[in-house]
Amino acid sequence: MTLTWRASGFLLAGFVAAAVTGWAQPPSPLEKYRTLEFPPVVENFDKGWKDRVALEYEIINAADLKSLRAALKDDNAFVRSMAARALGILGDKASADALADLVQSDPEYMVRIRAVDALGFLKMRPEAIELAKKDRDAGVQWAARIAAGHAQVDWDDAAHVRRAFAAGIRREAMGSAQVGKPAPDFTAQTSDGKPFRLSSVLGKKPIAIYFAAFEG
Amino acid sequence: MHEQAQLRLKKDEVEKLGVEAFVVLALDRYRTKVFKEENLLLSKGKGPFAKEKSLVFATALSDPAGHASALYGVSRKCVRWGSWVENHPCWFVIDRKGTLSYAAHPTFATPTSYVTDIDRVLEALTKAAR
Repeated sequence: MTLTWRASGFLLAGFVAAAVTGWAQPPSPLEKYRTLEFPPVVENFDKGWKDRVALEYEIINAADLKSLRAALKDDNAFVRSMAARALGILGDKASADALADLVQSDPEYMVRIRAVDALGFLKMRPEAIELAKKDRDAGVQWAARIAAGHAQVDWDDAAHVRRAFAAGIRREAMGSAQVGKPAPDFTAQTSDGKPFRLSSVLGKKPIAIYFAAFEG
Repeated sequence: MHEQAQLRLKKDEVEKLGVEAFVVLALDRYRTKVFKEENLLLSKGKGPFAKEKSLVFATALSDPAGHASALYGVSRKCVRWGSWVENHPCWFVIDRKGTLSYAAHPTFATPTSYVTDIDRVLEALTKAAR
């Protein structure tokens, strides 16, 4: 009993201390994205990429839908972009109207691109996708053409992307490929939907791998 | 795509070496399929590939969370060239023993860089095929 009272005392002291100093809540994944040391701008192309990769995993795997929906109205265009991307991948049909609004009226092309991408994943608001084909920015027009086709496919790409993120990534494995060392193994999916594992083809033929920047 | 077009020009040499070629996109399967089957970018120009439907003879792989791209150190997830760019476009060669024998991180400073990149890749593939 004495011990229990003592424990309660410590707990109470902890609450009081926290109330005085403020709870030291860890920042949310979106907040961390907002305060990235190297935001996703061209000047940081080769800097801070591991943080951006790790945070994208964290946001898609752990951010709650309510926060993501609210983030579509964030002041920071990168946060809006990331929220739009995550909501599309997470299949949040409730955010379709807000995404369509972004496609039509967000001042930043990077946000409009992510929003129209998301509508393609959701297969919703085709009229907003069509309008985006006439966007003032060529990048958005391109994304809209892709999204229009994406909305027509008969498989669930969003579910596949979610599973890939859910598998997680180890930070220490990032950038582990080194010339002179065994090629790191990885899994992927062929363009016709078949599973692929690099190790299944290693040691048979010389292999060339090209990592493309985007789908163009 | 430009690099894929350059590789396509060397298709005979690549096949003669018995090379298995892959192109990885840190994108969903649909976009990977578009990349593989549709010549969206170069069909808008007046170059030698303008009228070709598909330029990619490599097996196209969807790496939708960018896991493979991160392992190979090419993830960027950045705004560049007027869009979101998932990866720094890079070449890797793996020899018959499964050892990574060559890595190229092109600068894309000039259009001709593509040509020299492919020549270096072919040189590395020739060594890897031994």
